[in-house]
Amino acid sequence: MTEVPTYVLERVFDAPRALVWRTFTEPELLSRWYGPNVETIVHRLDVKPGGLWLNEMKWGGNSNYERVEYTEVEPPARLVWLHSVADADWNIATNPMMADWPRVLLTTVTLEEDDSGRTTMRLTWVPHEASAAELACFASALEGLDKGWGAGMALLEELLAELQADAV
Amino acid sequence: MALHGYSPKPQALDAVFAALADPTRRAILSRLATGEASVNELAAPFEMSQPAVSKHLKVLERAGLIERDIDKQRRPARLKAEPMAAAVSWLEEFRAFWSSSLDQLDGLLHELKQAEKKGADND
Repeated sequence: MTEVPTYVLERVFDAPRALVWRTFTEPELLSRWYGPNVETIVHRLDVKPGGLWLNEMKWGGNSNYERVEYTEVEPPARLVWLHSVADADWNIATNPMMADWPRVLLTTVTLEEDDSGRTTMRLTWVPHEASAAELACFASALEGLDKGWGAGMALLEELLAELQADAV
Repeated sequence: MALHGYSPKPQALDAVFAALADPTRRAILSRLATGEASVNELAAPFEMSQPAVSKHLKVLERAGLIERDIDKQRRPARLKAEPMAAAVSWLEEFRAFWSSSLDQLDGLLHELKQAEKKGADND
């Protein structure tokens, strides 16, 4: 397998491209939509190549930290960044939930406006400078989703638990 | 939300369920949940011929529930479902995070547009 596993998400917004761009690049707007059911605190947002977005997400007594480094900034059409989980000192960290999850995901956002003033946003994630284990983990997740395991997940987990109970 | 390239394929899910529908195949998975095993080792408790076990393994392999070593002589089979299940459920969470965030962005953009319109009307 030579192809790098890629995850793609596409969305159409009923808003002009310049406005969508602002929601990605102005801290007071970014913190209003990024992160569901959490308090998002933007500690730093420096949208230029080499600049950082240091983000904290708070809920209950917990905090999650993320470190983003921008690599390409072409207003208002294209934004590329390196996305990582971070510790409280903003160092890149391993995902606490999945050890082999890629530590750095190269994230690309492209914005295209059509004649009616709607904007199509395309988000892609690919593992960045990933180890074989990280690539395998990401590819395996995509493959599983492709097989429709997302939909059959609960059933499958139940069955695996049952099988293991039987095996004991 | 549109997800391209990785939307669930019903026929693949059918293959998983069809593979799980057979009691012998469930028993094979149950045995593999304790560790990898060769065709010989799997055939013993079932009083089945090796070709019959091989046939069941092929069905499980096609459904993506097990994998088999190709290089080794005894070609042991091992359960593939669990690591994949963990990775898939994490990716599902990742997708849910972004999907909910983008729902919020949709609402925010609507609000900003209304505010701009109001501002223009007042000018």
